[in-house]
Amino acid sequence: MKQSARRRIFYAVFLLPTFLFFCVFTLYPIFRGVQLSFFDWSGGTKEMDFIGLDNYREMLRDPIVGTAVANDYFLVLFKVIGIMLLATIFAVAVTRLNVRGKNLYRVLFFIPNVISVVVIGVLWRYVYNPNLGFLNSFLSLFTAERVQTAWLGEPHTAMPSLLWPSIWAGIGFYMILLVAAILSIPSDLYEAADLDGASQWRQFLSVTLPLMWEQMKVSILHIVMTTLNGSFILVWIMTEGGPDNSTQVMGSYLYQMGFRQYHMGYAATIGVLILVLSLLTTLILQRVLKRDTIEMA
Amino acid sequence: MMLTKQNPLSRLLTYILLLLWTAAVVYPLVWTLFGSLKNNTQFMLKKPWALPEFPLLWENFTYVWQKYGFQSFFANSIMVTAGSILLSLFLSATTAYVLARFKIKGGQVLYYLYLSAMMIPMILGLIPLFFLLNDMGLINKIPGLILVYTASALPFGIFVMVSFFKSLPKELEEAAYIDGAGHARTFWSVMLPLARSGMISVGIMNGLNIWNEYIMGSVLVNKPNLYTLPVGLAVMQNEMQYRTEWGPLFAGLLLSILPVLIVYIVFQRHIAEGVTAGAVK
Repeated sequence: MKQSARRRIFYAVFLLPTFLFFCVFTLYPIFRGVQLSFFDWSGGTKEMDFIGLDNYREMLRDPIVGTAVANDYFLVLFKVIGIMLLATIFAVAVTRLNVRGKNLYRVLFFIPNVISVVVIGVLWRYVYNPNLGFLNSFLSLFTAERVQTAWLGEPHTAMPSLLWPSIWAGIGFYMILLVAAILSIPSDLYEAADLDGASQWRQFLSVTLPLMWEQMKVSILHIVMTTLNGSFILVWIMTEGGPDNSTQVMGSYLYQMGFRQYHMGYAATIGVLILVLSLLTTLILQRVLKRDTIEMA
Repeated sequence: MMLTKQNPLSRLLTYILLLLWTAAVVYPLVWTLFGSLKNNTQFMLKKPWALPEFPLLWENFTYVWQKYGFQSFFANSIMVTAGSILLSLFLSATTAYVLARFKIKGGQVLYYLYLSAMMIPMILGLIPLFFLLNDMGLINKIPGLILVYTASALPFGIFVMVSFFKSLPKELEEAAYIDGAGHARTFWSVMLPLARSGMISVGIMNGLNIWNEYIMGSVLVNKPNLYTLPVGLAVMQNEMQYRTEWGPLFAGLLLSILPVLIVYIVFQRHIAEGVTAGAVK
């Protein structure tokens, strides 16, 4: 009796503070966010007007939301392709190929991942700066006239220009994941392949790739989720969604609606859209990628 | 491995790609260093890749450190990061220990509840969080930031620590019980020390995220003397653009990169472990 009472106290002391914390600062804000999406509220008053699904109706008609969703998926698609391609090449290079300085590359390529997104955004703004920027000065070396493109200032170049820093900042993290996956492949598989006279490329296709595919799937899902949930921070630092809302993504539009224009209810509705789309996308992708492995096997 | 034939052309291509990417990663840092030592004339008239001219403008650093309040941004960031790391380590280690070592009703559910929070876009909760902190009187307060960052660091910490505690052998724990130690005592003096390396990985990973965090910091604090480093930097770069203070801006960027770079180099092994531990979802 006494023993079990003491055990209960132990559980309570070890579990409850954490759970309480989690409820107050994580669960409550999310549920409250969903609830807010049914209200019209500027945040300034105590009074909130219940308007049912009006925010959702407005959202479906809002052309900027359309742009934002398209931009988000533009980033998702090209980040997945760019990051996975380069991270795979680099991971294979530092594990399976006899390149010199393997460890150095592993250490160096992760550096962008430890730098704040604010610093990354500011640095890349100066790469793209029309007058002082690195890119235009470099391009001008090959042209008679000075290149003066405002990369972040033109609607058709702004979005692709945001893609490069996102890829640049992501490679190292996924490279480390893939390196770990490759290193866990039993070496006798490669020895057997060597005895069969399999070329490096052949070994990659029939040993490395199938055995790292599981980790690649995890990485792809991770890129998709973090992009939909968090890519807006870089966008906000670099363009604030401009020019003319052409680089708006869902998160930046939420931030602008909530903290610049004080449409708290509408901003919360965009938040629900992010939640639904990011869960739906990862769920569908998980299905698609699962089918892939069955076909490969 | 030595037997494998390597195509010399693909070998060359691999090297070129590796060197190009090395340049893409290292050069911006060098560029920032050079920029931080230049004056405006050099920015406007010389090529961006030109070396800084003598005398080097070290004043750019003292300028941002003193006049722009980098001193206080640094102090705030250190307090917020250290506080959140300690609190979140304590809260996640205790829960992870129970979830990993004891069979309790609803333990699985609780575990997955914490995990699922890693998939939820935090920005959805940002608006309510602002008003919650406002009602608690914690807007524009360092403790407010610590509470929020601690909560955001819990799921990752619990996730990694559960798998860490699961991997520890049962014998040591049993020996402690036989010696008459209670659960809490066993946790504190036997299990926690064994989990040290896992705790360091979690602390470093969460610490880097918190040190670099911008959005919540910018929403929950709007007093310049309480800005964290990323928020201060973002505000400063807006002002400096209008005043064309390029040199000081680059000095500010460099100052904020240096601490994370040092932490990264020192704890490089733990960071690699933290990355792989966190992604085996």
